[in-house]
This record gives sequence, C-alpha cells and structure tokens, in this order.
Amino acid sequence: MKASTAVVDAGPPRRRTRRLTFDKASFMLVFLGLPLAIYTMLVVSPFIQAIYYSMTSWNGFNKNMAFVGIRNYKKLFANETFMKAMGNNIELVVILPLVTIILALVLASLVTVAGASHGQTRGIGGAGFYRVVSFFPYTIPAIVIGIMWQQIFDPSNGLVNGVLTALGLDRFDSFAWLGNEVTAMPVSIFVIMWGFVGFYMVLFVAAIKGIPAEIYEAARIDGAGRFRTAVSITIPLIRDNVQTAYIYMGILALDAFVYMQAMNPGGGPANSTLTMSQYLYTTAFSKGQFGLACAMGVVLGALTMIFSGIVFMVNRLTGGRDEVTMA
Amino acid sequence: MESPILGRRGFLRGTLAAAALAPLASCATGGDDATTPTASVPATSAAAAGDNPFGVASASTVEAIIFNGGYGIDYAEFAAGIMGKLSHGAKVTVAPSTKIGQELQPRFVDGTPPDVIDNSGADLIGVSTILDQLEDLTPIIDAKNIEGTTIRDTLYAGVLEPGTFEGKLAVINYVMTVFAVWYSMNLFESNGWVIPKTWDEMYELGVKAKAKDKYLFLWGKEAATYYQELVIASAIKEGGDELRLALDNLKPDAWSHPAMQGVLTSLKKIIDAGFIKPGGSGTQFTAAQAQWSNAQEALLYPSGSWIENEMKSQTKADFKMSGFAAPPLTASPKFPAEALHAAAAEAYIVPSKGKNVAGGKEFMRVMLSKEAATNFAKTKLAPSIVKGVIPADGFGSTALVAQGKMLDNAGENVYTWQFVDFYGMNSDMLVVWNSFLDGKLSVADATAALQKISDDVANDDTRTKIEIK
Repeated sequence: MKASTAVVDAGPPRRRTRRLTFDKASFMLVFLGLPLAIYTMLVVSPFIQAIYYSMTSWNGFNKNMAFVGIRNYKKLFANETFMKAMGNNIELVVILPLVTIILALVLASLVTVAGASHGQTRGIGGAGFYRVVSFFPYTIPAIVIGIMWQQIFDPSNGLVNGVLTALGLDRFDSFAWLGNEVTAMPVSIFVIMWGFVGFYMVLFVAAIKGIPAEIYEAARIDGAGRFRTAVSITIPLIRDNVQTAYIYMGILALDAFVYMQAMNPGGGPANSTLTMSQYLYTTAFSKGQFGLACAMGVVLGALTMIFSGIVFMVNRLTGGRDEVTMA
Repeated sequence: MESPILGRRGFLRGTLAAAALAPLASCATGGDDATTPTASVPATSAAAAGDNPFGVASASTVEAIIFNGGYGIDYAEFAAGIMGKLSHGAKVTVAPSTKIGQELQPRFVDGTPPDVIDNSGADLIGVSTILDQLEDLTPIIDAKNIEGTTIRDTLYAGVLEPGTFEGKLAVINYVMTVFAVWYSMNLFESNGWVIPKTWDEMYELGVKAKAKDKYLFLWGKEAATYYQELVIASAIKEGGDELRLALDNLKPDAWSHPAMQGVLTSLKKIIDAGFIKPGGSGTQFTAAQAQWSNAQEALLYPSGSWIENEMKSQTKADFKMSGFAAPPLTASPKFPAEALHAAAAEAYIVPSKGKNVAGGKEFMRVMLSKEAATNFAKTKLAPSIVKGVIPADGFGSTALVAQGKMLDNAGENVYTWQFVDFYGMNSDMLVVWNSFLDGKLSVADATAALQKISDDVANDDTRTKIEIK
C-alpha cells in the first residue's frame, strides 16, 4: 500500500480521472468505512490492548498494571511447560491438517470420480449414503465429541478396551489411552480428525463437482488410473480449496482448546496434550497472571500468522500462481 | 495502470491477516475507564444495633453469587428467605455460577463486583489476586446471630485461620470439610479387615485386598491430587508444624523433608506392588469414584467429606460409608495419631466495591445463624462451621457420624495448609500426581517436580505472597 501511495505522490501532477461523487463517497463510507470501523473497534483494538497487557504484571482482577517490558516474554520462553505446550501445538499443526485433508480428499474422490471405470464418471456405489453419513460427526458440537470419545476410551468401561479385551487382547485391560504419554496425543488427533473429515469431504466434493466431467473422461481415455487422476487432475484443479482447508484446519490445530479441555482438562499425562490455549486459560484464571497470559496470547497469534504465511508461500512456490484453465 | 489510494485487495488481505490474530482478543478487557467508583456505603448509623448491626438500608437489594457445586445453591436461597423476613426486609437475589473466576473477573476490574460471593470450585478466583479488594469480615464474627448469640462463640475451633490473611479476615469458609480415607464399613466387616493405623498396615491391607481380587486404591485424572492431600496430611502429622510451615511458605527443601520422603516412599511401595487400579490417568474422576463406591473394585479412597454427597446416587445400597484420618508414618509422630486435616471450605467473600456492602455482611450473618446452619447440615449431610447443630444419628448418615467422631477425637489438633489453593498450583500438581500414581515417576522425580512448582512461585517476584505462621 505504501508503494502505491508513493507512486501517486511522486508522479507528475495529472487530472484525477475519477471524481469523488456522492454516490461513490457514500458507498465507500457504508461498505468500507463502517466495516473497518467496527473491525477496528472489536478486533484490532482488543488486539492492541492485549499486546499492551502482555507487557504488564496485571493480575486480572484490579486496575494495577505495572509495566514490566518484555519480562513476561522472557519468562515464557524459559518456562518448560509453555514450551512443551507450544511443541504440542506445533505437532498438532503439522500432523492434524495433513491427515485430515488427505483422508477428506481420498473420501471425496471416492464418492465423486473414483467409481466404476466404464461409462459416465461417477463415485462408488452408495456414494450418496456415505456422503451423508460422513458428515454426521460435524453436526455434533465439539464439546460433545470430546466427552463422548473420552467415554469410549475409558480404561475400564470404554468401548475400545471392551472390544479389544473381548478379542482376547488382555493387555488392553484398563489401558488408559488418554492417560498414556505415548497414546494420548495420537488419540486426541484421531478424535479431532473424526470430527472434521466429513466437513472437508463435503467441501472438496463441491469443488470436484465444479470440474467438468470431460476432463476426467479425457484422462481416462489417456489411460490414467484413479491415483494418477487424483494427483494430476483433481488436486491441481481444487488447490485453492485445499489451501483454504489447510489454513482453517491449521488455525484449529493451534487452538484445539475445546477438544483437549474435554478429553484431558489437566493437559494429559506429563503434559503431552497440553495446548497453549489451555495453559493460557489456567495462567489467567486460576493463577491470576493475566499479563503473562496475554503474552501467551500474543505468541499464539504470532504463530498463527506465521503458519498462514507459510501455507501461502508453499502454495505459491509449488506453482499455485500458475493459472489453471479449464476447457 | 490506475493506482487507487487504498488498494481494495490489499485492504482485504490486511484485514484477513488481522483476523488470524483473533485469538488475542480473548485476552482483552472492556473499555478502560479511569474513574473507579468510590468504595462502599457510609458506615453504620446510630440505628444499627442488635437487629441490624451493619445498617442495611431497608428494602435494599443484595446480589449474591453462589458457586453451584456439590452443595448446590438452595441452602443460600434458604438463608435469603430468612433475611427477607428480618426488620430491614432487604431482598437477596441468589444467582448460581460454576465459573466464578471467568464470570466475575470483568466485574472486579470494572469495580462493580457483587455484594457477596461463594468463591469456590475449580475456577475460583485466587484470593491472593483480590485480597486488597475484600472487606474485613471480623465485625460479622463479633456480631450477634439472629438467635442472639455472638457468632464467634458458635463456631468450631480454628475455622477462621484459613480465611485470615495478614491479620484481615477476608474469607469466611462456611462448610467444615474433613479430609479422610473413606471406606465401606460393610465390606470391611464382612471380610474381617481392620482399619490400617500405619503405612505398613496399609500395605498389608493391600495384600489382603489383592487376594480378594480387589485393589487398595484407585484414582481419576482430575482428582489425582487427592493423593497429594493424603500424603501431605500424613507427612505433616509425622513432621509437625516445621513441615507445614516449610510447605506453606514455599521453602526450597520442603518436599525433601524426611517425613515427606518417608510417606512418599511408602506410597511408592504400594504403587509398585500394583495395589492401585491402573488406568486412573485416563479415567474421569467421578467414573473412578463410582468404581470405588458402587463396583467396590478398590477398598479405600482419600477425599474430602463432600464425597458422600457427591456419590450419593452411585453408592452401593448397604455401603455404610465411614472414614479414618491419614495415618502417621511412625509410632511417634509430632502430632497425635488422632490429629485431623480439616478445613473450612466454600469461601465466602464480601468485595469492598460492592453496591451494598452492609447487605453482603448481613447475608453472612444470617448464613451463620443456627437456623440456616441446621438446614445446611440436614440437607447436605455435612457440617457447617457452626457447631452443635448435628444430632447423634447424623440425620441418618454414617459418614456424617464419622466426621463428628473424627472432629471430636482430634479436638484442638486440627490442621490444614493453604499454599496449593492460594497460589493456584493444583493444575500443575495434577500432572505430577497422575504420572506418579501411574508408576512412571520415582520418588526423587516426583519430589523434584513438586518442589519446582513451589520454587517457581517463590522465585517469581511479580506474585503476591503471604507468610503463614
């Protein structure tokens, strides 16, 4: 934006080709100015406030906000528990979107274009049924998903151990899936994935439906198999949707508060499923250190920005800028 | 190319990027008004005598926020009903809350807190953070209750100390909580088991339980620190005030005290012998408690006396719940073996900036009346801090009778500690205790981890600390 302003300033004086008419001014005011004002008030200002609070030792219950500079940040990066929580979030953001999106893509392909290899391009038999069923988990609120799976993974009375012990696997008697340092995180990732895969499948199905069937027919005539079709046709043509899905899922992974709080409110065995948002919450509300908690919020916000930046960059570097034209 | 003043795309992209920062907004407060409302209602007028010692304005309203946990809020509503009938006719609105900290945080910042709060539950406000915004409640204790007796004379011994910070009675804990190891009298009688008096006898009992295919203990992940309570109670009984003060004042070697190490080692022996039901770190705590009270998979469960009420609907029909105090380590502990960890809980506070401070105090005076206290004991099967209201049959509850007996046996030897709740350490300690009970930590590891939690607070000069004597 700066650059373009500079161009206007530096350029030789010239007649404005467009006058600011009332129509235009009122339009800008209502559709640009108003949202911007609301946005500034409700999002930007609390954001700036939070940055300020993060540099105080505010305890959250009074108005004494002693300025301490960057001490809270120093404290954070020297805090093992916070670093552990950050590591867990990074683990989540690397694994969760990847597995969810790959699975969603596979399912979306199956129900749209990976059906019988003769006749019209279509999905596997009963595709409509699978589409509806796999969307079900998304209609359940996150907190219910968390509580439900916590019960399913209960060591003594849970469904999972019930089935495994009934199959004769006695070592799973009283095995604490969510209470074991090795399994707690994978199980948590599985549960979040279970809740979202249907939604992203529907998103990708819609995108795939937008691709003309002729392209698939042409690919098939050329002898492309299902995997080749998915990699060379489907993914390049819906890469914008994939990128959006990746960012959404990544932001969710950086938060993941509801799921983790429902399944392991204490942060899991040896803090193996503790997320930054959970730690922020206890730091603020049970330890009364709002300044420090705000610093955590700022770090979390910065990480989210960095993550979005990386996704945009990767998409660009792998050829996302190239125009893909259809037909 | 036309270069617009404000690039529309650039603008949108910028807002999108800012939207990604939305998590930050969770940390914000409302508008920051510089003026704080001046504190409290003018002091008592001449009319303020026996019937209305705090000078409550007639027909004024009082806002009470009550933690809606194991005890519900109906006992507070009962007291509100009594208050409405007094001469000043002040009307109390009782509202429940399960998230005291989150709900009231903005109101404390704004200087518009409610008049009286039951600051309890997992999301309570750490008292250290609001200490300077609370009324001194000593006048309530020195006032006469509505039956005409001075309140101070009606209370159990030692119930006010936990609420006294630097000479100010900031908190009145309303419910007397007895911490003990609970068991089924029926199960013990039918198997001929006796109550263990030392940690060695505890181990022996574990062997006997194993023979019957039962465990000695079990735990749930949110309540792993109940075992910390047992360990500290036992260690303090052994090591006396020296250890209690070391823990409470966050001394650097508190957890290495020989008494503490002895108890931890004894518990570790029980863990390593497999006498604790595995899988607790993945079990929701009430589900785990039901495995004790209903399925009887384990013999003993350390907890506060709320356990009977909490598990009422999930306790085996002829369970006959009773309890015993944490055992000492050796035959010659510093405190007598009958000494008891008991503490008043359900922390009632009156913020100084409430609209009707006198009304808040008056509500507490009514809560401490004989009528309200009797109602509490009868409906909740738990003693309040007001003594002499429980009949010999304990309203038909064996656990309530046991509590009365434990309190009588202990007499003046009642002790407690505060550092865990005062500094909000429980969430950090849960992690250590889940791992320790799971057998994943050695005594040395657990000691180091627990000491570190204490040291981190001690070394953080931005946190308000109190000295306990």
